[in-house]
Amino acid sequence: MVKTGVDLLTTSVATVESDSEPYTLVELTGEADVTNSDALREVLDAEVAKQPRTMIIDLSGLRFMDSSALHVILRANRVMDRQGGVLALACPREPVAKMLRLTAADQLIPVYPSVSEATAG
Amino acid sequence: MTESAATAGAFRHVGFFYRTAKEYATTVAGFLGAGVAAGEPAFAAVPAGNVSLIADALGADARHVEFADMMELGRNPAWIIPRVLGFAARHAGRRIRYVGEPIWAARRPAELREATRHEALVNVAFAGADAEILCPYDTAQLAPAVIADARRTHPLLVADGDHGTSPEYAEPFRLPSSCSQSLPGPPQAAMIHTYRTDLSRVRALVRQHTTEAGLPGPRATDLVLAVSEVAANTLRHTPSAGTLTIWHDLDEIICEIHDDGVITDPLAGRRRPAPDAHGGHGLWLVYQVCDLVELRSGSTGTTIRMHMAIRPSPALG
Repeated sequence: MVKTGVDLLTTSVATVESDSEPYTLVELTGEADVTNSDALREVLDAEVAKQPRTMIIDLSGLRFMDSSALHVILRANRVMDRQGGVLALACPREPVAKMLRLTAADQLIPVYPSVSEATAG
Repeated sequence: MTESAATAGAFRHVGFFYRTAKEYATTVAGFLGAGVAAGEPAFAAVPAGNVSLIADALGADARHVEFADMMELGRNPAWIIPRVLGFAARHAGRRIRYVGEPIWAARRPAELREATRHEALVNVAFAGADAEILCPYDTAQLAPAVIADARRTHPLLVADGDHGTSPEYAEPFRLPSSCSQSLPGPPQAAMIHTYRTDLSRVRALVRQHTTEAGLPGPRATDLVLAVSEVAANTLRHTPSAGTLTIWHDLDEIICEIHDDGVITDPLAGRRRPAPDAHGGHGLWLVYQVCDLVELRSGSTGTTIRMHMAIRPSPALG
């Protein structure tokens, strides 16, 4: 459990065993904005560097996300792409889902209603 | 309007001053019909009541024209340029025709300022584009000052059947003073909050005021996002504090951010950023979620005023 930013955002990372292949699950809780996007970048960079086949970011606990956090996620997605892996987002609350739609980020990164649907791809 | 062949490839932005529905229908349908005849993609965004005037005059050709209700599409005038750029992009490589009527008599002063700014920015957004744009102005209804601004924002004019250049159009690009001078000040009762890094507090204050003002939940969430994005720019681009001012009346809630930053691109936030762009999503989101945004930037810093209507306007039902 890593506390980031001004304690607004909590990130937790786990490797989850599944029927097919293990995947990396990152859970974001709280508010993600410019004041903690550097910390978020460090967490995601560290996980992406391990070259997982699948990384899922669980957004269900995220009350707020701004474009700084979005850029960090887009950056992680680019690297995952290059490595031949897949990044997926799961369970965004409506404000975050709307932001993903308005920026068309949801056309670059698959967004699923739940983590289990994200693992099913 | 038979000159398009002679001027193919040139961008033309024409203000059209009309007084009667007949004059309107004849000229606008003539403009669009010439495009249809030439195989040019055509798009018309005008107040809903005027769509049928044009469609009736076009007859069978109307099915080749894409129509939109400008009272919806252009409720926030900053939504118009991305929509027309999107139309042009869908028909890349072809000359397009567009009729845009963003100004009507019932527009409120802040909307008029933004619609005028939109008209001025069309000259920047489409400079060099293979496009012909006609903007009708109802001179029987609109104030003389609005028409005077239309003469400043359109390089070409059509009035009483005469075509010509506008002597008031200034090159290089300048915004008319009506949409670039300082905004009228907030009321005495406005809440003022200075922030440095605590954006969570900024968001909480906006949320609290949306509740007091009676702004419905999803729209409150939109306003919180917009204000937070602008305040984030203060942290990103300036070493100093920013100021948040909030006030509301029965019609709308307004959040204004002032900081020492300077925004030099007049189209900032008015062009859809590529989804994987490294920046530029912030202001885009601000313009997309708000009902109206006013931006002033210069040597004294940047002021961004975000408006949200508390009740949807009657025009939208």
